[in-house]
Parts: sequence; structure tokens; C-alpha cells
Amino acid sequence: MTRDILLLFLRKELSDLRSNHQVWPAYVLLPIVAVALPLIILIALPALTDAARAGHDAGARMILETVLNDPGIKGGTIEERFARVLLRDIEMFYLVMPVILASSAAALALVREKEQRTLEPILATPLRDGDLLLAKLIAAVVPAVLLTWVAALTGIVAGLLGGWWRVGVLILPTAGNVVALLLLVPVMAAVAALAGLRVSARFTDVPGAMQFTGLLVMPLCLVLVALIGRPAMMSPVAGLGGTAFLALLALWLFRRNVRKFKREEILTKWR
Amino acid sequence: MIRVENLSRSFDGRPAVEGLSFAVPEGALCALLGPNGAGKTTTIRMLLGLIPVSSGSAEVAGVALPASEETGAVLRARVGLLTEAPGFYDKISGRANLELFGRLYGLDESALGSRVEHWLRRLELWDARERPFGTWSKGMKQRLALIRAVLHEPRVIFLDEPTSGLDPAGAREVRTLIAGLRAEGRTILLCTHNLSEAEELADLIGVMRQRMLVFGPRVALAAGGTRLEIELAGDAGPLAEALKSVSVVSSSRAERASSPAQRGDLTTLHLTLDDLERDTPQVIREVVRLGGEVLAVRRVGISLEEIYLRAVGEAAA
Repeated sequence: MTRDILLLFLRKELSDLRSNHQVWPAYVLLPIVAVALPLIILIALPALTDAARAGHDAGARMILETVLNDPGIKGGTIEERFARVLLRDIEMFYLVMPVILASSAAALALVREKEQRTLEPILATPLRDGDLLLAKLIAAVVPAVLLTWVAALTGIVAGLLGGWWRVGVLILPTAGNVVALLLLVPVMAAVAALAGLRVSARFTDVPGAMQFTGLLVMPLCLVLVALIGRPAMMSPVAGLGGTAFLALLALWLFRRNVRKFKREEILTKWR
Repeated sequence: MIRVENLSRSFDGRPAVEGLSFAVPEGALCALLGPNGAGKTTTIRMLLGLIPVSSGSAEVAGVALPASEETGAVLRARVGLLTEAPGFYDKISGRANLELFGRLYGLDESALGSRVEHWLRRLELWDARERPFGTWSKGMKQRLALIRAVLHEPRVIFLDEPTSGLDPAGAREVRTLIAGLRAEGRTILLCTHNLSEAEELADLIGVMRQRMLVFGPRVALAAGGTRLEIELAGDAGPLAEALKSVSVVSSSRAERASSPAQRGDLTTLHLTLDDLERDTPQVIREVVRLGGEVLAVRRVGISLEEIYLRAVGEAAA
């Protein structure tokens, strides 16, 4: 497959996304939340630390204990340590973002073609199944990853400035944060998109595919972010291991998707 | 160019196509007729390698079926397909749609640009080229789909109901274009319900209902009638009655000429014979023997509609 064909699909999918009211709100809302979240946390920091110190609130007390016992955060005032832990862990949202965005875009990728009756003409071209799925995969992953990176970068800058304003220090991302952002985000997006593509190939209508993907995203986020993302935040080595595992998983899922992609099923079982 | 041998395909144990065999030589247009669910679209999809065959074999544009992934891609590069629904993206322009599919067919930018312009102008779509496809009329959409089918200059073209849902003017435009493609020497397989379209365009006609019921050159099929018309001088009413007793004559009817003032006293005898080829000389001799003054003899061809209805009716029975 040529780079041109990939770019062709990428452009078309982006144009599709812009006009798809079921998906584009997520592409607007999630980045806004990603940027606003560190600021909200830093604004609420004094109230949170005061509550923790006073010991009235069991939840705040628990957070304080977690902060004080966190092996990755040492030295500094309580406020600074609070800010460092929260800004570090907030990055998990940046891992949820590509999972949601890539899976929802991929869930529409084939089913929309079926609804528009464009899939048969596409399948009638010399394009191979693997090429088509790769084009659809990249078209789902690239916007999700780029948007996540832009949102994360803006969020990190907001955290830096907010941290300076609140606790008087520049709180830089941890090594784990950087590894997770640069490496885990693309592979998580790929795994989520491949799950979405499988749904898209199976379903015959957009609402059905979207509903099923909505159900799929929750456990997917839980598994990917909690089991792989969280350890990656604590340790860059864990992040590298998680990236390698997810890359292999994505490769296996891609091959499986190609194997399970039945032109006949798609052509004869759509409504 | 297209050769099909004993091709079969079942879905969940239900046969969609059964033991289909036919051949379309290079440059010929074959119309495949049949009622809904006869297996026409399934046949096209099998011949394009989009769905696998259950049994049998075929060769299309030099590629043998069943095809591997490799040969399947080669086959699809050599064949153009017009699907029943146009199948374009509503939000982008007609030209962008064509360019997208042209790239998928592997056309490079320079060839693509000139071909797109050539075809859009030829089919009078050039002025609408930048308008979103969704705003086009049905006829325009169908013409654009036809351009997509020929943009990569395929040797074989499959057309699935190309005039379905078009108004008479739109259907006429599409038929003219198909005739033009045939004149350029492309091999065309046309699936249609429209018998007059098949009659007008096809060199070969096949009537199918899961299997091939009738197949042959249009002219030969049409000549396969059993009716004979004999123009006689004078009143041939008694002669028509007398011919009913001839064993090879199934029916006999006399009809006076419609304008006797201009043509004199004429009668046309309408006869149905058991075998037109074999029985015509015997019947002529009998007419002459009975005193008939023969002015003209015409064999009446069978209409495609009769061929179709007879074949489909027999298959249903």
C-alpha cells in the first residue's frame, strides 16, 4: 500500500469525522477536559491539603497518606507533594483519551461505509483486506494520538504554570509520564481502534456499532489504563514493558482482524 | 474473456447459483436476465472474486477463479463494476469521489486528472464536478458510478442494474453510454430486469434463475419463433380453416389487410407451426395446393419477453 492511499483515507476519514455529530463532540470535549483538569486540581489544592491536614475528611486523609508514602515523590512541602502526585496521576486521563477517540472512530469506519453503500465499490478495487484495514486503522489512530498529544502538552504547560503559581515550583512530568505519553498513547490507541474495527465489521448499523463500542470502551479503559497505564506512571521501565506488550497485542489483533474480515459476510449480510 | 463453468454458490444450504455455465467472448455485451433473487448479483460478485464460489470454475479477463488474494487483486484491477447503488460519499464533490476511487485503482495523479476531466465532460457532469455528491440527481449519480466503472480502462465491465430507478431520459443517457463502451470493444456483462434494454444492447442473452435457463446470441434466440405469416391475394378465410387440419399446423387465423383500398383484396394468414425450419416448405406447398396465391412469406421472430417469460415460467413449474 502506498503512502498516498493512507493519506487519502486519512483525509476522507477526517472529513467524515467533522460531519459526524455522533463522534466529533468527543474530539472537542475530551481535549478541553484534558487541559482544564490540572488547573481545576491546582485551584482546589489548598482546600484539599487543608482538609487532609484537619483530618475531618476520610477521603482527603487517605490521599494525604498516599502522597506521603509515594516512593516516587520525595521532599518538598505537603502542597508541593500533593501537586506532584496529582499532576503525575492526571496523565491517566491522557491514556483514556486515545482509547475513547480511536475506538469510537474505528467503530464507525466500516459500518458507515456499509450504510453509504460505498464498501462494495471499495472492495471491488484492487485494494486488499489488509490494506483497507491498515488505512482505516491509521485513520482512526492518527487523529486520536495527535489530539491527545496536543491536549497533553497543553495540559502539562497548564500544570507547570499552575504549579508555579500555587506552590512556587515548576512541576515537570515524570519519566514515566513521558514514556506513557510518547509510547503508550499510540499503542493503546491502536489496540482500541482494532477492537473498534472488529465491531464495525460485524455490525450493520451505526447506532448498534456505537452502542456496542460504548460498552466495550469501559472495560477496555479499565484494563489498559489501570493495569498498564498506572504502573507506567510510576516507572518508565513498566511503561516500556507495557508498550512492548500492547504493540504485540495490536499486531496480533490486526492479523486476526484481517483473517476475520470476510468480504462475503460484509456484502451479503448488511441491510 | 468471460468463461464460466458449472459455477455454484449456496448460502446456508440454500442455492443462490447452481451449475451456471456460459461464455462471453471479447468485445461482446451479454445481458443476464432473471427475476429478483435469481442469483445475478451473486454471479457478478463471484466473478469479481468478492465472494468465494462453492464449486465450479471461471475465468475473467485472463484470471482464473477461485482466485488467491494476489490474483484477486489483479482481477479487480482488470474489471470495472457498476453496483446497483452508486456508492459514493455524499459530503465530498463528484470529482473528489472519482479521484479517490481512481487512486484506489492505482491511477497516478496525471493520468487520473485527465481521465476524470475527459469522462466528466463526456457525460456532461463537468459543471457539477465541485458540488457535493449528495446534492446530485439520481441520473447524475448513476453516470458518475458508470465513470468509476471505466476510469481505470478495464477490459471487462460488470453492470448491475445500471438504469434501475432512472427516469426515461436518464436511462436513455446511460444506455447510450453502454452502447458506446461496447463499440469501444469492451466486454460487458449487464444484469438487468429491463428486457428492452437487453434487446437493444446485447449480443448475447442469458436468462437465469439460479441456473442458466436460456443462453445464446440475441439474434438466434429471436429467430427461434414458431410463427409464420403468409400474405395472400383475395379472401383466405376458407384456406385458414382448411389449414387447421394439417398436422404440423398448431393454429391458423386469417386477417384481412387493414387498408384494402390501397393494397387490393389481401389476407394475412397467421400460422403457428411445430417446427418453423422443418415445416415451412410443407405448409407453403399445402397453401398453393389449396389455391392460395402467395404474395409474401414472413417468419415472425419470438420476442425477448416471450423467451424470458417462457423460460422463467418453466423453471418455476
